[in-house]
Amino acid sequence: MTDADNEEPRAAVGAQVLTPRGVQVERRAAASFVVALLAAVGLAVVYWQGGQPQLEGVLLGVALGGIGTGIVLWAKHFMHDDGVVEDRSPLTSTSDEVAAFAQDFQAGESTLRSRRVLVATAGGACAALGVALLFPVRSLGPRPGRGLKRTAFDRGRVRVVREDGSPVRPADIEPGGFLTVFPEGHTDSADAPTLLIRFRDDQGFEPRPGRRGWTVDNLVAYSKICTHAGCPVGLYQTELGLLLCPCHQSTFDVMDGARPVFGPAARSLPQLPLAVDGEGHVIATGDFSSPTGPGFWDRDR
Amino acid sequence: MTGRLARDRAPGRARGWLRRVVVATPVVVALGVTPLVQRPGGDDARQEDLLAQGRRLYQTGCSSCHGPDGRGVETDDGSTRGPTLANAGEAAAYYYLSTGRMPLANTEEQPVRKEPAYDDEEIAALVAYVGTLGEGPRVPNVDVDGADVAAGGELYRDNCQACHSASGSGGALNYGRAAPRLSDAQPAEIGSAVRVGPGQMPVFGPEVIGADELDDLAAYVVYLRDPADPGGIPIGRTGPIPEGFVAWLVGVPALLGVVAWIGSRLPIRRRRA
Amino acid sequence: MSAPGPRPERLLTHRLARWVDARLGAAKLARTTLNKVFPDHWSFMIGELGLYCFIVLVLTGVYLTFFFDPSTTEVVYRGSYEPLQGVTMSQAFRSALELSFDVRAGLVMRQIHHWAALLFLASLVVHLGRVFFTGAFRRPRELNWLIGCTLLVLALLNGLFGYSLLDDQLSGTGLRIVYSITLSIPLVGTWLASLLFGGEFPGPDIIERLYVIHILLVPAAIAVLLSAHLAIVVRQKHTQFPGPGRREGNVVGERLWPTYAAKAVGLLFLTAAVLSFLGGVFQINPIWIYGPFDPAEVSAASQPDWYVGWLDGALRIMPGWEIRAFGFEVPNPFFPGVLLAGVTFGLLFAWPFLEARVTGDRAEHHLLDRPRQRPVRTALGAATAAFYLVLFLGGAADVLAATFGLSVNAILWTFRFLVLLLPVAAGWVTYRLCKELSARDGVPTASRVTMGEIPGRLRRGDGAAGDDVDAAEVGAGR
Repeated sequence: MTDADNEEPRAAVGAQVLTPRGVQVERRAAASFVVALLAAVGLAVVYWQGGQPQLEGVLLGVALGGIGTGIVLWAKHFMHDDGVVEDRSPLTSTSDEVAAFAQDFQAGESTLRSRRVLVATAGGACAALGVALLFPVRSLGPRPGRGLKRTAFDRGRVRVVREDGSPVRPADIEPGGFLTVFPEGHTDSADAPTLLIRFRDDQGFEPRPGRRGWTVDNLVAYSKICTHAGCPVGLYQTELGLLLCPCHQSTFDVMDGARPVFGPAARSLPQLPLAVDGEGHVIATGDFSSPTGPGFWDRDR
Repeated sequence: MTGRLARDRAPGRARGWLRRVVVATPVVVALGVTPLVQRPGGDDARQEDLLAQGRRLYQTGCSSCHGPDGRGVETDDGSTRGPTLANAGEAAAYYYLSTGRMPLANTEEQPVRKEPAYDDEEIAALVAYVGTLGEGPRVPNVDVDGADVAAGGELYRDNCQACHSASGSGGALNYGRAAPRLSDAQPAEIGSAVRVGPGQMPVFGPEVIGADELDDLAAYVVYLRDPADPGGIPIGRTGPIPEGFVAWLVGVPALLGVVAWIGSRLPIRRRRA
Repeated sequence: MSAPGPRPERLLTHRLARWVDARLGAAKLARTTLNKVFPDHWSFMIGELGLYCFIVLVLTGVYLTFFFDPSTTEVVYRGSYEPLQGVTMSQAFRSALELSFDVRAGLVMRQIHHWAALLFLASLVVHLGRVFFTGAFRRPRELNWLIGCTLLVLALLNGLFGYSLLDDQLSGTGLRIVYSITLSIPLVGTWLASLLFGGEFPGPDIIERLYVIHILLVPAAIAVLLSAHLAIVVRQKHTQFPGPGRREGNVVGERLWPTYAAKAVGLLFLTAAVLSFLGGVFQINPIWIYGPFDPAEVSAASQPDWYVGWLDGALRIMPGWEIRAFGFEVPNPFFPGVLLAGVTFGLLFAWPFLEARVTGDRAEHHLLDRPRQRPVRTALGAATAAFYLVLFLGGAADVLAATFGLSVNAILWTFRFLVLLLPVAAGWVTYRLCKELSARDGVPTASRVTMGEIPGRLRRGDGAAGDDVDAAEVGAGR
């Protein structure tokens, strides 16, 4: 980077006289601006004609890019300014400046402090106001109560229904099939979507202790809400008998109480006790075996 | 915040005529989107020929794994070489043969879509023959013409996207299994797969997805083959992962290229500010 | 200076300038600004890329607010996209569809906005890397490091909020995971989640709230902090790479007026051009394919945008452990979702102070390090990058499995080990590489905990070395 490097052709000598290279660059920069101008006109026409996202994006890009290219060429070739040296001044204030500041500040501070009662009461008032203003935060949401631990199935003997509200008979689901169901009247609930799975006789389903009567005609029901981060565990692999969560790949063994066998989930999917009512429709006889969905601090309390 | 269809939906009952679809219809289906045509009955001689041809093809092409009687074959160590076809039904035979998933060279592999090994007539014969082996689902009559694509979209998002992804590009399952991409699936294949539940796929019977709903669903899957991409190059439609790669492999290099161009130096002159 | 022409006072601009100066007396300050010197290394413009992406985000974002309606009221879609005709959805999702299909230039604006967000974050990360690897964060620039890190956090959060606004299937799934992570915080998680979402998930208010946060609060905070970031750069002047004539005590480069200003404006236009191309050519976030959010549904390949991908990957790679004792539990998402994120940003914010404490180097630095001169720092940086890269790829595990026909379980198991091993390998290789390169340069490195092995005349700080001899000047002497 000595002066010997200065041999590359320059665009301009002085302010006005262009070298041949400069003429070339100037033409190129001007052409960029003209292209931008045409693209801008094109953009307006495209919009006027009804718009087309790809043309709009590309023409906008060409218009902006043309202006940018022109300006950069202009700057690079006709504004020779590199190698300017600016000295740094020290950032730290001198001790005199600090002392002068401290003196002024302390003078003011002592004036303030001389009215002690006012300082104390003003401070108290501001602190109290600050605390009082925190209270409206409470309005942002209700107290987290039992809602996290129960679902709409907890009334007992609730019919399970499809998303359109229609009831389900055990035979509606083929062996090896499944259906997403909800508590009747709560098909929008986010904590109660349930998988109704019909396993095949030869799949070795083993009910959990105490849950022997929870299945009906090879139908077993588990919460669809992952115990890890709450995604719907929608991937039922019927031959493997596994449920896979697409969000974080937690995998649950349907034949073994929906026990987690892979991934970050640490708890089984809660099971729903099933029965059939007098009309032959599938019902839940109670709520899930444990709170559905992701864990929280006092889930088991 | 739900994605329900506003209009009333058929409650999903099976139509009687579905059960009555005549055996030989898959011949027509194999041509693709062409809807099934109900054949006039009484073509017994032809039916016999078809079954005989199917039996022949079966004995040469399928029996080594599925057994000469279609009851499956167990290897010496007790594991299954080929499953029983007793209740596979015509739909399963049609699905596996028309998508080229059967026959399978290596029984350890997960079957994937490839060129069918048999021509349409041979497939029809095999389908007819397998249908006689037991009680399995028939090939459903899927007609996507005039079907309700939006209703199909709702069904698709309810039942299919978890594995096949919202765009039909397929997805990963456990232990190397995968839900296939649906871009080549023909309506009758879609219908058969829904009714049969091949491989890891669950079975969706007529009480879960009704016959009309199956038409809608197939119409949406057909739509997903070539959906409207108003935004430009679709980059897989699989969401943020390919988008992130484009950002880092196209966007960032482009921006850094611009910066490098602007920052590249011309000869230096030195001056005092 | 002025060209021959009408007398200055007759030009409107001149008269206006006079008018302002008569009231503010700004001429002196303005002249100083015009003459501010910018060092002309290309890598100093990466931060500017972030600024310009932000400008594009604001401009396109304002346009989007004219059409987007953040309401969770249920409506039936009757717009022009046939495959969603008659579907019940939230007003937010419907307005996003109308913005995409029925508002002219709406889709291209939405796509530019989304690409600008991805590249805003990418620019910040590359800029952060530049500052880190060249040691530009050292005294006196720790304050600006802190502001920069805050900007990164704000940008990341706002990206996540924007992704969550549209109420499509992906954004709802993302919010659900955010809710679960919030819920997992010991003691206060349930309260925090309830206050943030206005109740149990999905919460009646979350979209309206995120909207205000996304379009007002965070952008305002970003604008203020960006201004402070730039003001501090002006006050402290730029760092520069060592070279002939470049000393700790000066800045060598181009003046703001006109050269650097022109280049900066050119860069603004070119950045916007790149984003417009991307927005026009590459489809991003096709919400009409994903459909409206339904809490009972999810699609395969549900991922966050790339800048949250590392967090999603950490959630996937984490083994299924949680702590349960005395009837209380610390759920699994807490460890990757809260703890790892906290440690990540905690270390990031603390880095300048940690390094100063370890090296004992508390002197002012205006000349930058070449990365190879600081093998330990560079190796740590490479290891960190490797760590988060593996996490990001973990977040793509299912897409990788489906794309390459692999087992998603095998991939995640591999990543569980790789996330520990690759950083070590990357760090070691980088360290050796730095050593080799420095040895080839014939310059000692400052790899050790102390600066002891650097000859005294190369050492900065403690007032030991004279101002005139610079480590780097010797180091880079070619």
